Amino acid sequence: MTSGASHGPDSPVVRVAGFRKRYKKHVAVDGIDLTVNKGEIYGLIGPDGAGKSSLMKAVAGVLTYDEGVVEVFGITVDSEQAAERIKSRIGFLPQGLGLNLYPELSVEENIDFFADLHAVPRDMLDRRKAGLLALTKLDRFRDRPMKHLSGGMKQKLGLICTLIHEPELAVLDEPTTGVDPVSRRDFWSILSELVQEKGMTALVSTAYMDEAERFHHLSFLSNGKVLASGAPAKVRAAVPGFVATFEVASQREAITRLKQSFRQVDSFGPSVRVFIDGDDQVEARRRVAAAVGDLACSVISVSEPELEDVFASLLLQRAGRREPPGPVQAGAAAYDCGEAAIEAEALTRDFGSFRAVDHVTFQVKQGEIFGLLGANGAGKTTVIKMLTGILPPTAGTGLVAGADMQTAARSIKERIGYMSQAFSLYLDLTVEENIRLFAGIYGLDRRATTERLRWIVAMAGLSGYESSVTGRLPMGVRQRLALGCALVHGPRVLFLDEPTAGVDPLGRRRFWDLLAMLAREQGVAILITTHYMSEAEHCDRLALMHAGRIVAEGSPADLQRQVRREAGSLFEVVVDQPGRALTRLQGAGFLVTALYGTKLHFFCRDRDQDKACARRVLEESGVNVLSVNERPLSLEDVFVYRIMELERVERPFGQTVGA
Amino acid sequence: MNLRRSAAVAGKEWRETVRNRLFLLMAFLLPPLWMVVFSYGLVLDVEHIPFAVLDRDQSSLSRDYVYRFIESRYFDYRGSVQDEREIDRMLGDTAIRMAIVIPQRFEERLSAGRAVTVQTLLDGTFPLHADTMKSYVIALNRAFSQELLAGFLARTRGVTSAETRRLVEPVTLETRYLYNEEVRSTWSMVPALIMFTLMVTSPLLTALGVVREKETGSIYNAYGSTVSKAEFLVGKLAPYFIISAINVAVLWAIAVWLFGVPFKGSATLFVTASLLFILCGTGIGLVISLLVRTQMAALIITIIMAMVPTILFSGLLVPVSSLSPGARLQAHAFPAMYYTDVARTSFLKGLDLGAMWTDMLALAGFAVALWLVAYGLFTKRPKT
Repeated sequence: MTSGASHGPDSPVVRVAGFRKRYKKHVAVDGIDLTVNKGEIYGLIGPDGAGKSSLMKAVAGVLTYDEGVVEVFGITVDSEQAAERIKSRIGFLPQGLGLNLYPELSVEENIDFFADLHAVPRDMLDRRKAGLLALTKLDRFRDRPMKHLSGGMKQKLGLICTLIHEPELAVLDEPTTGVDPVSRRDFWSILSELVQEKGMTALVSTAYMDEAERFHHLSFLSNGKVLASGAPAKVRAAVPGFVATFEVASQREAITRLKQSFRQVDSFGPSVRVFIDGDDQVEARRRVAAAVGDLACSVISVSEPELEDVFASLLLQRAGRREPPGPVQAGAAAYDCGEAAIEAEALTRDFGSFRAVDHVTFQVKQGEIFGLLGANGAGKTTVIKMLTGILPPTAGTGLVAGADMQTAARSIKERIGYMSQAFSLYLDLTVEENIRLFAGIYGLDRRATTERLRWIVAMAGLSGYESSVTGRLPMGVRQRLALGCALVHGPRVLFLDEPTAGVDPLGRRRFWDLLAMLAREQGVAILITTHYMSEAEHCDRLALMHAGRIVAEGSPADLQRQVRREAGSLFEVVVDQPGRALTRLQGAGFLVTALYGTKLHFFCRDRDQDKACARRVLEESGVNVLSVNERPLSLEDVFVYRIMELERVERPFGQTVGA
Repeated sequence: MNLRRSAAVAGKEWRETVRNRLFLLMAFLLPPLWMVVFSYGLVLDVEHIPFAVLDRDQSSLSRDYVYRFIESRYFDYRGSVQDEREIDRMLGDTAIRMAIVIPQRFEERLSAGRAVTVQTLLDGTFPLHADTMKSYVIALNRAFSQELLAGFLARTRGVTSAETRRLVEPVTLETRYLYNEEVRSTWSMVPALIMFTLMVTSPLLTALGVVREKETGSIYNAYGSTVSKAEFLVGKLAPYFIISAINVAVLWAIAVWLFGVPFKGSATLFVTASLLFILCGTGIGLVISLLVRTQMAALIITIIMAMVPTILFSGLLVPVSSLSPGARLQAHAFPAMYYTDVARTSFLKGLDLGAMWTDMLALAGFAVALWLVAYGLFTKRPKT
């Protein structure tokens, strides 16, 4: 192996300096430096189009670049020949869930193909295959064609195929996008276990901000540049601040007031969330109280910010003081708050023998934001399609604005708005042409069109973009335009199917702000689907979907409260032997939800007693406990808990996560 | 070259193709279907022309005249009519393409030695067909006239019928068609259609097979591993080559057994030329696949690339020798012409290598050139 004489054991595995990549005139990556050390899980975090994929492909030697240095294992990757020299030591997983696998081939045939491609000796292949299949619990599905695997299983198979030749460096491009939270957690446990066991290094990208904690080291990318880099704790410390959360009666008014003095103000269901710069907690509380003024509000709770808050504030700093105009106050429309806008009653849909949606029941009132959460393939889109009358249900009924959508007349259909995953805009048309086109489709007359055009441009903050070609707009702007087009005919009910996929944190927050305004002031009922768990907190009420069924429903706070009541509080323990700690804790009856790196998350019913018990159990078995701390329960924790509960009931002998 | 890697790629490709219903149909059903559909569609023989008769004479001689048409394999009798308007209607509906109107006192005037005029109405929609029909009518009419003349001479001068024929037509023409003795257009068309079918299906399958991987991103498995360019290309295309080879056999069988085209030449030569030609086909597909990103683009470009030059410049419809000099040059720039030549020669003429070695050399040259271009275009570290 020509591994480069200068490459010592402590040299970095990957060194990137001044990296630039252009696609024709479009600059995708604009000067990136980073160093990945041996044994690390290095994370690249950023929205679509940030330049993550270009960088990872260049590191894997499957993409040319225009400027800079890319060194892998001490070899400068600057030609096809040089790239060939590193490929036996690299495992590359391209973006797209299971897309690099072969749908017609079985699980085992897929693995064998990758092994042959890398010329893995047979006996070694059998041993590794058995190990990896056991670790990912795919051994029962050896003969199943890959196309019949679930999203999470595809992802794990992708990981096995990428690692079958035991590469020293794994380059994994968005391996967790679109996968359900349980599978995501499994994935991270498997990856951290392999990294520790085999001394492997991993360069991993993700669009989920909440996965940042999983990395030893991370870089936050935006528009082809690194905004922040370092260990998660260090990145967090770079932007000192607090998050204040409180409930207030007149939410819109509070937000308007807060926006005078703070840049990150969001509505989270009924509460308001503010990010305050500075490192003085008391001062932060005082400033928020002062800004809210005389509005009656609940106790202001102050907590550490999430990494997403940090990124948003970094993005804002970069954007400069030029604050994008907030949504206009369009004047409150008269609406009846209690009126049910959407009623799904035991909705069921079969595709052949496959049940995509299984007895889904829920209600959405006017002025309410209702979130449908779940992984790809959980049935979210199918529910929306049935409610909008695109797809007839196999059983059950769906009432929208009081009418059965299946038989509803066109006039009823004109009272709902629908924004799809793909935004369904015409990319060759300008912003104004798109709006006029949608107005034409809904049969608005000239005066109404002009009026709505003005309203949409103001509402979605599109002024200045009217004559820009849609295809050249940033994703965030395109997304707001799509929302505007869905609202062109002033619908009372709005369906949004994964509208925030691929948009950066600022764009997402801005979008949620618009939705909150529509719901609170216009009384529009909003049904939104998403697979970003962190986003779900914006909703008034949520339904968690898994395998076509609703597994939990309620407000975000309710859902968290329920889990806390059933399972206790969530604790994080940092240990030196995570694998052993996991087995011990599970053996002692603790519900462990996640393992990543050297950290384990587990539930404790009794805060003090159980915590002490866990510590004792671990220390008795020779595991060195570095710290035990309580963690706030996220919606993802809720989701994972619910699904694990479900699996435990349905499969009593099923194993738990990460075993 | 590590053959295990090539074999792995080939095995995967083969499984994917036979397990995917669409690809399976495209691989094994499309070629025979294409061949059969085009064989029936491109038959240029004008036979079984439907016609009707308006016989105003109703004499034995007029019936004799009509019988000559009824008995000919070129015409199909669709009945007699009583009214000229009915003829108009039938011609208008294309129920018939020709009508014969025999005037009153046809027999009486002929017996009296006076000339008569028989009216023939021809559907001129397709000029080529109309011309052919006209020549059939003229030939039948002349034969009838000559017989009348012979009878007349025999009756009046006492000459034998052989003598009369010599007098009437002193120079007789003896035509013998070589190679395609019955001048059936299927015989000439079907061997060329083997070429046409292979020219469309083999690049199409190859291009879609490669672009499919580019579209999903599974091509990165090859890019990111140590499989060499040659190993990958050989493994990737071997199944498509084998599928096309199987199709050569199937198409040959269709030509011989379904269309009854005789195969007079050397099987070895035909097989060698066919294999060289499908190497060209997969090469073309590969080059296209390396230039486009989506299966849709690959489909459109392959169809255009395969159809246009093949239909116009391969000798499928028009012999290359009768093309304009510019078109003839273009014909030489595509492998289709050479293979058409070999295929037709093998089926109909049965000549040996001596007559075809330039074609074989050209096919081999194209195959090598296309594969070299593809090898040069393929990179495991692309720009986008």
